[in-house]
Amino acid sequence: MRVGVIGVGCSKFGRRDDVTIQELSYEAVKEALEDAGIAQDDIDLSVVGSVNTRGYELMPAVPVNEYCGFEDRGPFRVEAACATGTAAIYAACTSIASGMADVAIAIGVEKMTEIETAVSLAIGGRAGNYLWEFHQYGTTFPGYYAMHATAHMARYGTTEEQLAKVAVKAHGNAVKNPKAHFQKEITVEDVLNSRYIAYPLKLYDCSPISDGSAAAILASEERIRELGIDNVVWIESAGYASDTSNMTNRESFVGLKAAVMAADMAYRKAGIDNPVKEIDLAAVHDCFTIAEIMAYEDLRFCRKGEGGRLVENGDTEIGGKLPVNTFGGLKAKGHPLGATGVAMVYEVVKQLREEAGRLQVDLRSNRALIHNIGGTGHFAFVMIFRR
Amino acid sequence: MFIESRELVMRHRIPVSKTAKFWKGLERGKVYKTACRECGREYYPPKADCFCGGEVEWVEIDGRGVVEAFTTVYTIPSGFERSRPYTIAIARFGKVRVMGWADDVSVGDEVTIRTGQDENGVWKVYFEVV
Ligand SMILES: [Zn+2]
Repeated sequence: MRVGVIGVGCSKFGRRDDVTIQELSYEAVKEALEDAGIAQDDIDLSVVGSVNTRGYELMPAVPVNEYCGFEDRGPFRVEAACATGTAAIYAACTSIASGMADVAIAIGVEKMTEIETAVSLAIGGRAGNYLWEFHQYGTTFPGYYAMHATAHMARYGTTEEQLAKVAVKAHGNAVKNPKAHFQKEITVEDVLNSRYIAYPLKLYDCSPISDGSAAAILASEERIRELGIDNVVWIESAGYASDTSNMTNRESFVGLKAAVMAADMAYRKAGIDNPVKEIDLAAVHDCFTIAEIMAYEDLRFCRKGEGGRLVENGDTEIGGKLPVNTFGGLKAKGHPLGATGVAMVYEVVKQLREEAGRLQVDLRSNRALIHNIGGTGHFAFVMIFRR
Repeated sequence: MFIESRELVMRHRIPVSKTAKFWKGLERGKVYKTACRECGREYYPPKADCFCGGEVEWVEIDGRGVVEAFTTVYTIPSGFERSRPYTIAIARFGKVRVMGWADDVSVGDEVTIRTGQDENGVWKVYFEVV
């Protein structure tokens, strides 16, 4: 059974002191319903994707669902750390593909700014295995990715300048995205001169602590026909894999094995041999600049070790061989955990429908990819969308 | 406009009986892994249960390890009340990798293992560059 995306919505990302988690969620839900041209009554099931270990509402599914007008259908809540949003999409998709629902909404939402930064870091540092990592060693989330960065730099000669280039590209795109957290262009020097968060990652190598929401409405092919909707982006394939909670049990630190496995699964199901030629754009998980470079390699956009050069050459800019993170990425658009994966779907749907305005890329194969990582490769989702 | 939430304090009591050998070992300067007598798998962090169902034995980790990744954490999370940055490294010792704190390490450095307590009184692994 084919499953299509019929409506998407996304809030402004950033520091959202003006709204509660419920109010924030409704911004995206309202936009998605209007986009699909349907009402709450047309939806059978809602999935709320939210980590919400930082917001005041620790079990947010029910209050969020009620505020959005779905109090009598759903919700169920999913959590996959930073890949929570795509887990919500995946759950909505499988509920339709299995015949349990005809129309489902995935709501991704996160309020991260309600607590102080040191506490937020201590929560993020628990994204692996608390007892054997954070408790003893203080593994912060930037620290996890920083360890991958030092391993990648030692093995392949990747440089801090190449990492910086990822951030510069992200900010360059984000200034044209009114919903992005950051609205400021930066230079390689700005990144290199910013203070270390976790060596070798500096302030501008890191995605910000953001609030935000995104929503996507999915439906079966049959129901789409009944509703008379023709502006559909189809889910062509999905790959999902996971890896160990302890970093010490990983095979290497120069890439994420779960991402490689998820990509292989998604490519195989979609019949993709050469992603650079067969997809038009990608939204990849760039919570830290090193993450985007590893994503290029794990997704086979380039050979292992050449990720730094790929961004340096401009190949992943809009107009390049394969535009990546055209809306500014997690790095500059923002990374409200539960919202991120759903916002990636929002991005590729807007692009595939040629509604991306100043950020529009040229479409040739009408295919786009999302790559959403939870933790440091603890969860990995890769999905292919097609117009 | 904001209102303050009520305070929520969470401190957990973590049962470590099945890995007590490891935690007591740290206080005596020893770091243990487990090894399965049935299938030969080695575990670090140590696991009391091998998923093959076999019985595990406790084996001390010593000798030299090689650093595969490291970072120095400058932005310090709550729970680690200290003013100085700290360096976390992962080093391979034979079949297992170990996480520890170290000073001035790089990828490829050879290290030896020791144990110690940090400012918060938590016992853990430290590495010394050879
Ligand atoms: Zn065994």
